[in-house]
Amino acid sequence: MAVYLTAAAASLVLARRPRLCRVAAFGGAILGSALVVALAVSVLAGGPVSGRLGAHAASGMTFGYAVTPLAAWFLLVLGLVAVPVALYSIGYLAHAVPGAKTAMVGASFNVLLAAVALVFAAADVVTFLFAWEVMTLSTAALVATEHEIRSTRRAAYMYLVMSHVGTGALLAGFLVLASASGSLSFEAVLAGNVVSGWWRDALFVLFFLGFGVKAGVIPLHVWLPEAHPAAPSSISALMSAVLIKAGIYGLFRVCAFGLGVPDVNWGLAVMAVGALSAILGVLYALAQSDVKRLLAYSTIENAGIILLGLGAGMTASALGHRELAAIGIAASLFHVLNHALFKGLLFLSAGSVVMATGTRHIEELGGLIRGMPWTALFFLVGALAVSGLPPLNGFASEWLTFQALLMGFASLPGVTRMSFPLAGALLAMTSALVAACFVKAFGTAFLAFPRGRAATDAHESPAVMLVPQGLLAALCIGVGLFPGAVLRTIGTVMVSLPGLRLPRDAPQATFTMAPGPAGFDHVVPLALGLTLMAGLLGAALLAAARAARRVPTWGCGGELGAATEYTGTAFSKPLMMIFKTVLRPTREVEALADVSPYFPREVRYRTAIEPVFERYLYGPLTSGVLGAANRLKVVQAGSLHAYLAYVLVLGVGLLIWLGGKR
Amino acid sequence: MSNNLLVLSAAGMLVTAFLMVGQKALFTAIRLYGAQSWLLGVVAVTIALADDRPPLFVTAALTAGLKGLLIPWFLMRVVDRIGIRREIEPFLNVPASLLICLALTVVGYRVSTGFPEGARGVAHHVIGVGLSMLLIGLFLMVTRKKAVTQILALLTVENAVFLIALGITSGMPLVVELGISFDVLLAVLVLGILVHRIVDRFESMDVSRLSQLKG
Amino acid sequence: MTEGALAAIGLAVLQAAGMLALAPLLRGLIKKMKAALQTRQGPPLLQVYYDLAKWLRKEPVRSDTASWLYVAGPRMYFATSVAATTLVPVWMAAAPLEAAGGVLALVGILALGRFFLATAALDTGSPFGGMGASREMTIAALAEPALMLGLFTAALSAGSLNLGALVRGLLDRGATFHPSDILALAGLFIVVIAETGRVPVDNPATHLELTMIHEAMVLEYSGPDLALVEWASAVKELLYLTLLADLFAPIGLATSASPELILLAVPIWASKIFLLAVAVTLVESTNAKLRLFRVPDLMAVSLGLGFLALAIRFL
Repeated sequence: MAVYLTAAAASLVLARRPRLCRVAAFGGAILGSALVVALAVSVLAGGPVSGRLGAHAASGMTFGYAVTPLAAWFLLVLGLVAVPVALYSIGYLAHAVPGAKTAMVGASFNVLLAAVALVFAAADVVTFLFAWEVMTLSTAALVATEHEIRSTRRAAYMYLVMSHVGTGALLAGFLVLASASGSLSFEAVLAGNVVSGWWRDALFVLFFLGFGVKAGVIPLHVWLPEAHPAAPSSISALMSAVLIKAGIYGLFRVCAFGLGVPDVNWGLAVMAVGALSAILGVLYALAQSDVKRLLAYSTIENAGIILLGLGAGMTASALGHRELAAIGIAASLFHVLNHALFKGLLFLSAGSVVMATGTRHIEELGGLIRGMPWTALFFLVGALAVSGLPPLNGFASEWLTFQALLMGFASLPGVTRMSFPLAGALLAMTSALVAACFVKAFGTAFLAFPRGRAATDAHESPAVMLVPQGLLAALCIGVGLFPGAVLRTIGTVMVSLPGLRLPRDAPQATFTMAPGPAGFDHVVPLALGLTLMAGLLGAALLAAARAARRVPTWGCGGELGAATEYTGTAFSKPLMMIFKTVLRPTREVEALADVSPYFPREVRYRTAIEPVFERYLYGPLTSGVLGAANRLKVVQAGSLHAYLAYVLVLGVGLLIWLGGKR
Repeated sequence: MSNNLLVLSAAGMLVTAFLMVGQKALFTAIRLYGAQSWLLGVVAVTIALADDRPPLFVTAALTAGLKGLLIPWFLMRVVDRIGIRREIEPFLNVPASLLICLALTVVGYRVSTGFPEGARGVAHHVIGVGLSMLLIGLFLMVTRKKAVTQILALLTVENAVFLIALGITSGMPLVVELGISFDVLLAVLVLGILVHRIVDRFESMDVSRLSQLKG
Repeated sequence: MTEGALAAIGLAVLQAAGMLALAPLLRGLIKKMKAALQTRQGPPLLQVYYDLAKWLRKEPVRSDTASWLYVAGPRMYFATSVAATTLVPVWMAAAPLEAAGGVLALVGILALGRFFLATAALDTGSPFGGMGASREMTIAALAEPALMLGLFTAALSAGSLNLGALVRGLLDRGATFHPSDILALAGLFIVVIAETGRVPVDNPATHLELTMIHEAMVLEYSGPDLALVEWASAVKELLYLTLLADLFAPIGLATSASPELILLAVPIWASKIFLLAVAVTLVESTNAKLRLFRVPDLMAVSLGLGFLALAIRFL
């Protein structure tokens, strides 16, 4: 923590010398993150660590930190992603951000990391909310890095507004809890027996809203696809991989384990929101041609998958199935790590592309695999992982989520359980759609003909940017091949949480994953990988007969080029049409013809999808709030006498009320 | 063995009903109805063999012959004559229709668990399938516009009633069945002629246009 | 390495080889039967083998815009199909590598192959490849949930998601049918039609570019590359039919590794596959190819059947 703050200070001090400043700031961040990893590992191996940051003598309040195993898991995720991202930033920001801003970015970066770490580690409400606000503000500063651009300012503004609505909900929730328990420490506040009855439900809704905004779940996601692309790419990686997880952490800490045994309806609600976010997130992602917006929507989709596992776990826990609950929670925690790894990787690769070509629009790219072979390879690994394909890490956690859903169906009673296979079918559809989405993104950006000068002249990023991507890619593969090792670590988190019990006969091997009774299902990704290698070898032997001849692609007599190749928009068009009820695509075709309408000189095609939530949910909401504000203007007339009168009335009223209480 | 065959063919009938909801080509729908009737025949034969009730053989033969061959043949001829091959856009699109039919089937099945189990222990499956098909048939009649589809829906309902009867009482008395079978045949003939008339009059067999007939 | 693991690997190699050897025969058989229904002579039963042999000897011609992914595509597709065969019980009531994973691993592996082939199709810059890839991924996205639901129904009624254990569970249960089995079978059959690119979803025989899906995707391939793709597709088709046979009529699978039982199991398996091939042929011959935007309706039927199977089984 101190390292972060020192690095932030150093960054500001060295503001005049961008190069040195970068190294100091991000070097500090690397060091700090490495320390965070070390701390997390020691907690996961040993036991919780806690301490006191400071105390306020007059009120007797103390500010402390307590790294529980759950917090340690999130800190581990933070550290694992932050190290490569910081390293990458040293190279990336040199090109992406003008020197004068480097200091600001470097400082905010470090403050953000410190704040997120403190959010995970906070031991009391005040520390938590303080860290939460610092986190929000420093992110807003980072989003607004390119504040000359209007849309960036709008994105930062939107982020702030949404975050504050969320924080408002959190504040209200924590105030209720604190006043009911008479303490501010998490231990007392989140003991689970503070409130009961409908208060509990109301608090759940409040906290779910508050944390849901940060987690980016639909319909609270609107800030996310604006803010992620607006920030510099390495910051987007950090936001998507870590910041979102702060919301998820809150959901775990408070909604799932802080309000007592969850209600069945809570679990089902979380599952429903998760399924909705997953499927809509990927559908919106499919419609994007801005690679960073696409990744941002995919983040929403992954938050949905995380919530599916969490919801399944909560439902099971509510019904008293403690082992089943453990599987759902484990799937959710596992996906937290995996999403951080592959989404961090994808954002970094996208950043390299943006830096090399100067555009985020995949329809202007193409053929980058020749100029940027390494970036292409890393993006491909990320794309495979995010699509949940074996033997990469995305497969492992989606597999576990499936297990939670199916075992839930097998062992729960009543009609409730029908929602489990339904969620499973939606998850299957989601992962197939994600695959379509990333075939489109990868194929359009990296393959075939370049669609413009920017793509033709693209060249590979420097090593300082490639090494972090390689690191994350290796982690994606490693975690995918050895999921058992990760699950063991998650196991130590599980035993610390109430209402969970580790499945008794779950094998604790490094290669295998098997939830619960081993007969139900198990998987050994390494064996799958080896079988694939064997298959590849066979294919290579079969097809090795002759050397290939290289010729241009046959274009039915015409010449093929950038103008004739399939575009990303065309690629996702069939799915857009099929899901038109949800996406409401609109299109305009404009043909400029000289002679005959059948031989147009130029065709302009524009397509867009209707932002359903923005228009139908937030539109009325915003106008309603503005209308209410207008009506309140009557009260706030601007006259000094009127304000004095308010004070007088309030004072008299208070005195009467207090007098009456005596 | 006989139980398996019963369950198999009853469930097969449900599948045909579902496929009917899921597509729009009239020829395929008619063929599906034919297959459904044959499956009903199999159900009847199975019960006849297992319970030793010879009259059911007659029923089965009637079902297969009339509903499995004659009526489909006649309907295909009608469709061929009037030259309209597909259902136009129904009132509800296919996924929505399927969703509703799904719910209807679940309802039908839930209700069927209340019936007393017969000696065989599979009666409630047969009745469940029958009830679900009945509801799906009614739903088809409500949402489809072509007269031929309406006839098919009606016939599906009739098959469903037959199946339920088989499930509950192992079949109705032979006289009743004979009567019903010829009733159905007659109804289809009349309806077929009616369809011709409608097409003649409106150059379409969209029954929603019949409302233009009122003064 | 233990003796059991070695035996499993040996069996896996044998089974993969067997599937590779027999898969082209299935293709040829369906072609022959289709021709017979159209009162044509049709190509020889073994034509698919001749084609493969010829392609493997030819010089591959590759686009000069294509990168290494274009070469990797068919190889990966082939590897995934071969790997998938080791996860499915074919002649024995156990999959050779069932210790490596179950239903979800199988679906994942097949999806991996599809991902690579679709990506490779975009690599040449030919619009046909893009169109085919786009449609293939679209249909896969619609078929996947239906496939999962159908598999879940069988898996949950047998109490395991591992195909080997699943089949053994079904065998233990004995030959009693539940209506949900038929619904699930119908749903899965539609999925298999879609996934293997057959009428009414796709047309394996067409070479009219606008109607193609799978064929458009692999249009640019030639020589050994094409052989790998076609061979892998054939294996995939045989695998899907075997899966249907396993899940709904597991009778006859050898319950132990004794040679007599396996020798008995092979003809039983062959007759089940033959019946399914007849069904596929009949569907192909009696239906016209659907418009691309009618395919979702069909997939919705399949999804509905799958969900209904679950609902009436467990409600």
